[in-house]
Amino acid sequence: MTGSIAAELMIVRKRAATWILLGIWIALAMFFGYILPYVSAPDGPEAVRQAEIADLLPGQLVSAVLEGVPFFGGVLVLILGVLIMGGEYGWGTLKTLFTQRSSRTLIVGAKLVALGIVLLGFAMATFATSALASLVIAWLEDAPVTWPSASLVLRGIGATWLIFAVWAALGVLLAAISRGTALAIGIGILYGLVIEGLMAALFDQISLVQPLVEGLLRANGYSLAATLGVSTAATQENGPGMFSGPFVSGLQATLAMAAYLIAFVAITVGLIRRRDIA
Amino acid sequence: MNAVRERNVNAAAPENGRDRERRAPAYDAYVDEMDGDTLVIETRGLTKRYDERTAVDHVDLRVRRGEVYGFLGPNGAGKTTTLRMLLGLVRPTAGDARVVGAPAGSPAGLAKIGAMIEAPAFYPFLSGRDNLRVLAKHAGVPEARIETVLEEVGLAARAGDRFSAYSQGMKQRLGIAAALLKDPELLILDEPTNGLDPEGMLEIRELIRSLGQGRRTVLLSSHLLGEVEQICDRVGIIRAGKLVAEGTVDELRGRDWLRISAEPLEQAQSVIRRVPGVEQVSRNGRALHVTADPSHAAEINRALVSAGIAVHELRRERPGLEAIFLDLVRDHETEVHA
Repeated sequence: MTGSIAAELMIVRKRAATWILLGIWIALAMFFGYILPYVSAPDGPEAVRQAEIADLLPGQLVSAVLEGVPFFGGVLVLILGVLIMGGEYGWGTLKTLFTQRSSRTLIVGAKLVALGIVLLGFAMATFATSALASLVIAWLEDAPVTWPSASLVLRGIGATWLIFAVWAALGVLLAAISRGTALAIGIGILYGLVIEGLMAALFDQISLVQPLVEGLLRANGYSLAATLGVSTAATQENGPGMFSGPFVSGLQATLAMAAYLIAFVAITVGLIRRRDIA
Repeated sequence: MNAVRERNVNAAAPENGRDRERRAPAYDAYVDEMDGDTLVIETRGLTKRYDERTAVDHVDLRVRRGEVYGFLGPNGAGKTTTLRMLLGLVRPTAGDARVVGAPAGSPAGLAKIGAMIEAPAFYPFLSGRDNLRVLAKHAGVPEARIETVLEEVGLAARAGDRFSAYSQGMKQRLGIAAALLKDPELLILDEPTNGLDPEGMLEIRELIRSLGQGRRTVLLSSHLLGEVEQICDRVGIIRAGKLVAEGTVDELRGRDWLRISAEPLEQAQSVIRRVPGVEQVSRNGRALHVTADPSHAAEINRALVSAGIAVHELRRERPGLEAIFLDLVRDHETEVHA
């Protein structure tokens, strides 16, 4: 198994798309998380400005990162998940892999473990660059530097990883179902942007959809983020990724996300084990 | 079609004289000790149906340890589907297959098999060497083996280039290198010379011939009948999903015959019919096709000359594999259109 994981890590590491997606995500996280809020902070009374800037200082690192993860980060890693599995169908490399020594379950398992490791790298890179950005803002504003507790940062990294993992696993599943990349990316983005967005928007108007919305990735992702300090008011101003509720408890959100992850992985492995490889 | 050629499943061990010369003594030694336990591939009633279409229809394939087995058939005959079933990539609808002593597709079996099915499939953004590294890690093969196989297929100098930059011939070579990585007992090669120039084809042919020496078994699927004829000990021909002929190349060819061109042809035909040992005489364009032991050639010639017939040509003919193959395929086309 370790050999197969090492092989899959090598593939992901040497693939330009991995680094391009990481670069795009970090750039988005920096721009929308720090640069834009900082340059658009009001020039009015000092107290108002300081209140805006406070959200960008090192003390708010966890909430600043997690605000963008449930939607923007999720959709980007969905694309990564699609590419990792869909590419195998496009190049026909599954037949090459499945005629080696390992079983299909082991190879797909190794692929998913490698993806999980890469996502941990994504989460840590996001926290590292965000920490750097918050440090620069503290220096520019001559503000005191106080970091959140290590346990909060670890929980933040864990929550980021879990949200990323669920979206990426959805991408892997869509790629396995469609046996390719294009359709899977299309459906994934349509689901994340349109379906979840519309459902979340309808929640206020139609009470019937509330139980459905509580089950969505977006609701559970934002609920998980909210338990780690993300302001529910801030999520309502998140552009296409906006979410105004309903929020569920942190435990329920964690369990729901874990259940999604297990379900997506199990269905993917089951599909690939059962199907013929053309 | 000569009935002897068809479905000669229980054919004896290879007797191809040219191959015997080339493959002796290791191959001869194995032939002598061969028994029922030496089957490397054994399928029983292997069948694959896609909805209404039957791609492979009750194929009973038996490939013996150490032989180079040629698997022939026109496009769409079911060759690649059969090979995929042997590797566990495609699940049979009915029947079963054991490959190197294990159920088809099981990790235990796959560990002893090297395969290249259809076009070689690798990661385009990785170099040839890195692609082999990935496979070596999955297969648990030491990395030192990578350089050995790259040398073996003549790709060592370009192994650092990206796969996407390779020519078709280089891709084929990398496919063969990947198949050799595990130093497998059984090598399954599907059209290994596709896209190669004549020199490359010759090199790969020689490589396959050398790989098939000793106890390693090679199952070679190819459209190039001359290639199969030169390399293979035994041949199986699949047509419309059915294995319709199997045996050594000599067995499939059947007996040699005599081609006689004489004047007048009709009189020559009646004279030859009376020569003892002649089994059949038929017109073949402006010549006669005589089924008889070629040792009777002198006697036939004497009879024709004595009867005042001018003999322009008397030649021993040997049907090539291509003729047999086309014969089988045309038989089928006739059946289909009848």
